[in-house]
Amino acid sequence: MRNPVPESNPEPAAEPVPESIPASAAPRRRPASLRLRLTLLASLTLVISLGAVGMALDAAYQRSAVVSLQQQMDTWAYSLMAAMEVDPDGTIRLGVAPADPVLLQPGSGVYALIQGPRDAWQSASALGIDIPAVRAESAGQTAFETPAEGPYFQRRFGLDWTLSNNEVEPITVAILADRERLASALASFRTGLWQSLGAATLLLALAQLLFSAISLRPLEQVARDVADVEAGRADRLAGPYPRELEPLTRNVDHLLAAEQANRIRYRDALDSLAHSLKTPLAVLKANPDADPARLQALEDMQLLIATRLERAAAGTRRALAVPLPIQPVVERIAASLRKVHSQQLRKLECMVEPGLAFFGEERDLMELVGNLLDNACKYGDGQVRLEAHSLAGGARPGLKLVVGNNGQFVALEGLVRRGLRGDERIAEGHGLGLNIVAEIASAYGGRLTFGRSPLGGAEVALIIPAGHLTKGNEV
Amino acid sequence: MRVLIVEDDPALQASVAALLRDAGYAVDVSSDGTEGLYFGEEYPVDLAVIDLGLPGLSGLELIRKLRGSERQFPILILTARADWQDKVAGLEAGADDYLTKPFHPEELKARVGALLRRAAGHAQPEVTLGPLRIDLATQRVAMAGEEVELTTFEYKVIEYLALHPDQVVTKTTLSEHIYEEDADRDSNVIEVFIGRLRKKLDPQGTIQPIETLRGRGYRLNQRALEGGSGGA
Repeated sequence: MRNPVPESNPEPAAEPVPESIPASAAPRRRPASLRLRLTLLASLTLVISLGAVGMALDAAYQRSAVVSLQQQMDTWAYSLMAAMEVDPDGTIRLGVAPADPVLLQPGSGVYALIQGPRDAWQSASALGIDIPAVRAESAGQTAFETPAEGPYFQRRFGLDWTLSNNEVEPITVAILADRERLASALASFRTGLWQSLGAATLLLALAQLLFSAISLRPLEQVARDVADVEAGRADRLAGPYPRELEPLTRNVDHLLAAEQANRIRYRDALDSLAHSLKTPLAVLKANPDADPARLQALEDMQLLIATRLERAAAGTRRALAVPLPIQPVVERIAASLRKVHSQQLRKLECMVEPGLAFFGEERDLMELVGNLLDNACKYGDGQVRLEAHSLAGGARPGLKLVVGNNGQFVALEGLVRRGLRGDERIAEGHGLGLNIVAEIASAYGGRLTFGRSPLGGAEVALIIPAGHLTKGNEV
Repeated sequence: MRVLIVEDDPALQASVAALLRDAGYAVDVSSDGTEGLYFGEEYPVDLAVIDLGLPGLSGLELIRKLRGSERQFPILILTARADWQDKVAGLEAGADDYLTKPFHPEELKARVGALLRRAAGHAQPEVTLGPLRIDLATQRVAMAGEEVELTTFEYKVIEYLALHPDQVVTKTTLSEHIYEEDADRDSNVIEVFIGRLRKKLDPQGTIQPIETLRGRGYRLNQRALEGGSGGA
């Protein structure tokens, strides 16, 4: 029997739902992960610092090597000055050969030159080498040149050499060192330096990764605990957490507790409201003298209370509900229905996938299963079949619940109205129960589909997608 | 048939009682669970209509206690909460059916009738014993296809006997099941009803469907009726 709601008593239009998300709330790109940030910043810091250290060490070594070479060149020059002799005719010779073999071996890279106005002397090492001209230094003057100023490091000393005839001969003693002599030492030093710095960088990067892992572990623990709450394995964050995270975790716990308290309070208020409305309504309906128009108005009120209260109760669902085993609930309801419909029900078959869970309120699951099975029993011809299995999807898999019977096939689609407005006509029996199921399914992000059961009658499939969120969790 | 109504809302209680009395039932009413338990245990109740939200003893507790004391009469739950949790809890406690408030008066009568028939082992709302046919829904009685006009109390007597065929039913039992507790009962009236029924159902006295068992009571003789069917 259908009970039309009179058009003279229309339901107030539902509040408009914004169709698009405001620009201010447009989805923004997700910030980079903390681990990535830490790793990138630490790596950058490490590379810059160790690079700077490397360059400083390289410069210091280079300076030190040059100073050291200069000292060595001074030593060679002094030894030459000690051994040299200048004849009265200006001929320069060495009384004693240089002690350091580097000045004796041709092409050794170190060359000595004693230059006077009338003669010049070169070390044996300069044999066959095209030594550039050396600038004369005045007496008492010294000079040091690096390869930037010429092809060799050059150390020069200016002397006034008094000859045996008491004449004074201006002499310049110069030591030239091939730049390669320092470059190879510098290259060797640099190889060692950068290898060491590379190894240090690697070790420090590994240490940094370890530090960030240790530092981020409490955050990962919080994430795991929140996942446990979400999956229903816990009803609050377990803790303890570091002091820095406590304000966050404490607030989340408070939020969960407040959500639960509000939900219970809201549901109690709805129950009281339903009770206080339905009993006087029953009195009015039980009056046999009531005229049809009045009875119709009462029917409308009943429908609105049943569906509106159900819709309102949908708002009381837990944001993070515990997984509820489906099999026991289905068995309880099936046992009850076998009793209620004992006269006409010959076979009520329930096939539930082992371990299947419903992520929501037990009350909602009972409403879903109860209404679908009860309708199937009422309008079937003695055979009813329920199948329930999971839909793949992570910590919160979806659910598919299919209920069919062997009754006369009825197209049930028309009995469910999206949004259920008061001015729409809803059939009693199938319609009321189905609309309650549709309201609850919608609250869980699910939907109903209709078809023909293999038993021959109508079939209703309830599909709640994986990872569904309840209304309480919607933003 | 005697129905116990346990409902705390006075208006609804009166309304349901009037509805069932009009339907021909003897009705006892109670407003709380404790009194309801007393009535259910002490009176020969054929069916109880129990509200779940009762003061004192809750509806669920009342049902459990009645079942615990071996009371097997059918129980229909009335509940303002349409929740399946409540329905299932009531049915698991021992109730046989439920009705959600607000309900259609006709639906209440139909459920009460169906439960009584089920308790008597009849699936259909009709009892047929040879030529005797009783439509429990419309309360019409026919003998060999001819409708028999009966008063309310005559109907109550033949209905009770027909739902308990071949069983000895004492005058006290009949009286208890067709009268309410505070009614002014006179066992001689039962004899008058039986006499009238015999005349109306078997004016020629050929079938003699209602036997008198001296000192014990009455019995609706199924064999005689089914034999009479062959002769009719």
